[in-house]
Amino acid sequence: MTKLEVGYGFVVTTLPDPRPRIRDDAESPTLDGSTCQACGLHTLSTATRCPDCRGELAPATFGPLGLVWSSTVVRVPVPGRTPPYPMSYVDLVDGPRVLCHLSGPAETAPVGATVSLCGATADGDLMAEVVKEVER
Amino acid sequence: MSAAILGVGTSFFGKQQASHPNELMWAAVNEALADADDPQIDAIYLGTVFGAPGVAQRGLHHLGLTGVPIITVENACASGTTAFHEAVHAVEHGRFGNVLAVGVEKMTDSFAGAIHPESTDPEGRSGLALPSLYAMSATRYQQVHDVTAEDLALVAVKNHRHAGGNERAQHRTPHTVEQVLDSRMIADPLTLLQCCPIADGAAAAVIGTSSGSDRSVRVRSSVLQSGGLWDHRSDHVWGFELVRDTANAAYEAAGVSASELDVIECHDAFTIGEIVTTEALGLAPEGHGASLLRDGHTEIGGKQPVNPSGGLLSRGHPLGATGLAQIAEITWQLRGDAAARQVDGARIGLVETMGGGVAGIDGNACVVAVLE
Repeated sequence: MTKLEVGYGFVVTTLPDPRPRIRDDAESPTLDGSTCQACGLHTLSTATRCPDCRGELAPATFGPLGLVWSSTVVRVPVPGRTPPYPMSYVDLVDGPRVLCHLSGPAETAPVGATVSLCGATADGDLMAEVVKEVER
Repeated sequence: MSAAILGVGTSFFGKQQASHPNELMWAAVNEALADADDPQIDAIYLGTVFGAPGVAQRGLHHLGLTGVPIITVENACASGTTAFHEAVHAVEHGRFGNVLAVGVEKMTDSFAGAIHPESTDPEGRSGLALPSLYAMSATRYQQVHDVTAEDLALVAVKNHRHAGGNERAQHRTPHTVEQVLDSRMIADPLTLLQCCPIADGAAAAVIGTSSGSDRSVRVRSSVLQSGGLWDHRSDHVWGFELVRDTANAAYEAAGVSASELDVIECHDAFTIGEIVTTEALGLAPEGHGASLLRDGHTEIGGKQPVNPSGGLLSRGHPLGATGLAQIAEITWQLRGDAAARQVDGARIGLVETMGGGVAGIDGNACVVAVLE
């Protein structure tokens, strides 16, 4: 059971874990998700229908490679986390946009850099590492 | 539309730990009712995010506001404007005569700093506090568009300067670009003075049909939309498309264009928010919002002043109260009652509030209202 302190000063239990589902049995981690059979949307949603067209979803895996869409370093206290920590929105290759923590120093990653999913942080958050800087 | 704002009121906005939420509401509601010449109230909509169950009835029964429908609404940062929007359309459709819209939030009871991310949300659970969501927009703008750190700081400099004329605002100290950039980093590239402070406060408005008096402010349009999917198919930063689409619908309903606006209160929860929002409102082309700051277009004395109240950056952001404080500010501006921060000759005003926090969509809700 994961216990998190939230904004009302008491501790609540929230299950199931809503974060991306990491498949780490392969050499490089990937994410479990779905692709819509009707419109082709890639999604990490765990719902049974496409969030765009309500079409049928088929299981799919995404990653490990993606491109940095944007990035920041969180430097304020967040319950259950130790700042500072870098985060990035990553557009996975042939996959959805996903929020990742970044391995390495507390600095932003350049927009357009190539990253690879590399597992989970100690807190269980999806993590990626920069594998190639932006080509100019 | 026939709906009009008959009266407005607000409490002081700031950290008021010793004040009960009731007291915040009483200050705002009593002022609004008096401002409207104490009309009969037929229904009440109240916006709050973290308010206790029953917060509306607990406070309002002390004021004799009993025996009428009371509806509490939540739409994140746009909760107060959602209450306003519902009140306006209830009057417009003849459901009620006079409707009171209230927003209240006592944030210091729950938070010392940034709002804690929501643990049932995939991104909230991953540690994405709201400042970091806006920081993602700022990073993207800095690397894709022509926006510098100094441009971001100019939003805070302008709005804090405006707040000097607003005795109800929490932070009224002027700051330089250097001071803004040298303040503590919160989420790169956003520094402390680029983030709205938490606050306690309440605000209220009485909506009815126009009396034709000089003091009533006509609601030309009010539009509320929730966001579409925001995912890898979008090249726009979070929230841009929702604000743009809501604003365009509000312009069409009001029969006005962006260039006709004289004064604007918009959602500057973070500096980048004002830059992106002014673009989405059509005041500048996408990617060129910073030019509005560089050439003084959006400061008091400029062609289209934005956030003459000092905005959320100066007033603070008690979530449920913010939208109605924006409504109150534009009402005062259009009446010519804004004293030291008055925008000369303001005739058409706009309020925009944006609520977020749900991963996967472009915003929980955005409200845009055009007032005259």
